[in-house]
Amino acid sequence: MAAPRTSSSPTEALSPQLERAATRLASIVGPRGVLSRPSELVTYSSDGLPFYRKRPALAVFPETRDQLIAVVRALAEEKIPFVPRGAGTGLSGGALAENDAVIIGLNRLRRIISIDPENRLAVVEPGAVNATLSRIASVHGLHYAPDPSSQTACTIGGNVAENAGGPHCLKYGVTLNHVVALTIILPDGELVSLGSAEGEREGYDLLGAFIGSEGCFGVAADVTVRLVKNPESVRTLLADYTAIVDAARAVSAIIASGVVPAAMEMMDGPTIRAVEASIYAAGYPVDADAVLLVELDGLAAGLEEDVALVERLCRGAGARSVRVARDEAERARLWQGRKKAFGAMGRISPDLVVQDAVVPRTRLPDVLAEIHRIAQSTGVLVCNVFHAGDGNLHPNIAYDARDAEATARVHHAMRAIMRTCIEAGGTITGEHGVGLDKLDYMPLVFTEDTLDAMCRLRDVFDPDRRANPGKVVPVRSCREWRMAPATHRPRPPA
Amino acid sequence: MADGAGNPPSAAAGMTSNDVREAVLEASTAGSSLRIAGNGTWLDAGRPVSGGRPLPLSGLTGIVNYEPGDFTLTARAGTTLDELAAATLPHRQFVSLDPFGDGSGTLGATVATAASGPLAHAFGSPRDNVIGLEVITGDGSVVRCGGRVVKNVAGFDLTRLFTGSWGTLGVITEVSVRLRALPAEDETCFVTVDDRYERLSALFSALREASIAPFSMEIVSATLARHLALPEAAALLVRLAGNATSLGAQRAVLSGLGDVRQAPPAVWSALRAAEPREAIVARLSSLPSRVAAVWTSAREATAGVAQAMLTASPSRGIVRCILPADARDAARRIARIEASVIFERLPNDLWAELAPSPVSDRLSRTLKQRFDPSNVLNPGVLGETAS
Repeated sequence: MAAPRTSSSPTEALSPQLERAATRLASIVGPRGVLSRPSELVTYSSDGLPFYRKRPALAVFPETRDQLIAVVRALAEEKIPFVPRGAGTGLSGGALAENDAVIIGLNRLRRIISIDPENRLAVVEPGAVNATLSRIASVHGLHYAPDPSSQTACTIGGNVAENAGGPHCLKYGVTLNHVVALTIILPDGELVSLGSAEGEREGYDLLGAFIGSEGCFGVAADVTVRLVKNPESVRTLLADYTAIVDAARAVSAIIASGVVPAAMEMMDGPTIRAVEASIYAAGYPVDADAVLLVELDGLAAGLEEDVALVERLCRGAGARSVRVARDEAERARLWQGRKKAFGAMGRISPDLVVQDAVVPRTRLPDVLAEIHRIAQSTGVLVCNVFHAGDGNLHPNIAYDARDAEATARVHHAMRAIMRTCIEAGGTITGEHGVGLDKLDYMPLVFTEDTLDAMCRLRDVFDPDRRANPGKVVPVRSCREWRMAPATHRPRPPA
Repeated sequence: MADGAGNPPSAAAGMTSNDVREAVLEASTAGSSLRIAGNGTWLDAGRPVSGGRPLPLSGLTGIVNYEPGDFTLTARAGTTLDELAAATLPHRQFVSLDPFGDGSGTLGATVATAASGPLAHAFGSPRDNVIGLEVITGDGSVVRCGGRVVKNVAGFDLTRLFTGSWGTLGVITEVSVRLRALPAEDETCFVTVDDRYERLSALFSALREASIAPFSMEIVSATLARHLALPEAAALLVRLAGNATSLGAQRAVLSGLGDVRQAPPAVWSALRAAEPREAIVARLSSLPSRVAAVWTSAREATAGVAQAMLTASPSRGIVRCILPADARDAARRIARIEASVIFERLPNDLWAELAPSPVSDRLSRTLKQRFDPSNVLNPGVLGETAS
């Protein structure tokens, strides 16, 4: 088999080890399935977060399960680090690889292998697209519940790696609650089944440990997920507020009432105005300080009573108006503004950093006020669009990355916002993962013993630390690494 | 087991997690082992622990943090489920964990054994409800994983790892859980059903498509129905929840299956407490489409065992069998049923025969070695052998 095309520039030449690996990988997936030219690797040098760029040594794209297994085994034999990557929509720099590592692109392994409507299960390849699964399941009146904003592009394998969420996770739960079994390839090439679709198993919850491991524990070869029955009826409300604090109070009142909305999303003034100025205009009131989008679903009987109750609670908290979508078209329009909010913000300036943090729900009003203060003092434009029902904030900052001074202020504001969320008893990520971006915050939320326990867990799956090295837990937190003699140390991240 | 009678060993009141850490370090240094216990509710469940000085956590009690508006609660491991219910009820909230046994069971033991009950139909098992833990691992490290928020992906998921690990990787000393709101209205009712295979199979198909959204839904055998003071016939037991309109509509749907009659809400606690301590208990898990077949097999396996009782959670694919302790042959027949068979209680000498270790694979063995290198914690409770 022909060797892949490689760069002739000496500064970009691959090491002999990587040259050998490239030839070997090409013999597995064919020469067109291996990329090594810098120009070809540009796409794989970043993900959805604009702060980081890293060019991998190679990118390899298996098309079958057997090829995937062979690729992981070849990299194990060559002792080369690798980074699994789905659609690259991640927002934490988690799918980036250093220049000595290989990206394993899973986007060609995108088949829906089977759907079992009676037991409401689906088996998919890791590169299957989230929204495609729901579309195919819809003929059975079923859908896959976790719905990240990137669902038209992101993959189920990527969702597993990040333990992805989405607006409807308020009622239905996150990826963890919907994956029942996985076949994984350990970094050493061994194939292992975790969990079981055919009933619970005794023993350690290795499935739960793998979900959200950000590609550091191995690669999923197939994923078995639970499908959820489509609700009989869906009602969507939009409440508008002249003070964001009132909207936050409405959230608390609704949660306390015992009604569990399918989703409860909030957008602040700057977000509303960005959306309304874009092609995604949803008819949100542009003079509002916040809007609350509440969706109720479930059995048809009794739903109108819940809608009426939520409407009363929204008004009781000071809503200027409450609009209930009259039909599916109006509902879709209200949602489009929310789902495309990131895109609308992208219009304001060339770059957008989408952040992710969680605070206890009762702290939302204080934290939002503090974020507003931080935005003003650092002179950055923060747009808040978030899953209010679970306290999962997404403060986003639009900026121009070519402006070094502005970029520095953005970084400063982000750090201040993260500290605020941590001090409020929250955490540094609710659904985007740690990746590279949140590494420095890990010691702020976890003790040394806890970080070391995470290292120990990783070592069970990947003792050589070749799978997505340098992500999630700072290497200096791993006691064994710190205490090992220098010559025996596992390779630190570059 | 802590002692021959399965009674809870006495515990030091006002215990702290540091006391637990010192006990773990001391055992580790001395080369001895510990048998971790909450209130002793489930001490006779699971495989026998080899040796092991009792480490009772019933003195490690109290709610550490409860902000009703956040719908989260943090409590020390020895706090009982009854205490949690008493604290949350005034706010119309509850902890959606109702393992078999009674309310004197502790939160820590519930999480350590990943025990669930009828509420799992709507709310899942401990892994779906626990949001954070404090754990003392076998080397004395104090691990604080997860947090007090309902959504959290910071770092590797140690919370899931320790949940259901039966104390073999670490001693759980503190637990944070998410809470649920009580519905506007709820009611418990039952419908007498025919539990022969074809009829039961048709019933389960109908229930899968039915317009109901219950908190709990179980099938009980005639013997269990009698124990619960219901008419002596197999019955579908349902806890409906929602607003008044919804409840009325759901009741109407159920009436399509038979005569719907009210049952006292206490029937759920009676169901959870139905199994005597010395019983043999097996949980048979399979695809929901196979529950009727597994139920039928379980009925055949227990035919002729006078006090055998069965209950099934059709949505979760689970059939639970409760047998008197001397029904050893029936237990053997149950072990051969085509399902994932998990024994919860067995006579000590039957464990090795019927339920070999579920943690003998390479990853599980490495995990144990990494988190409890001296094999201090509950040795043998998962049938593992020291590596």
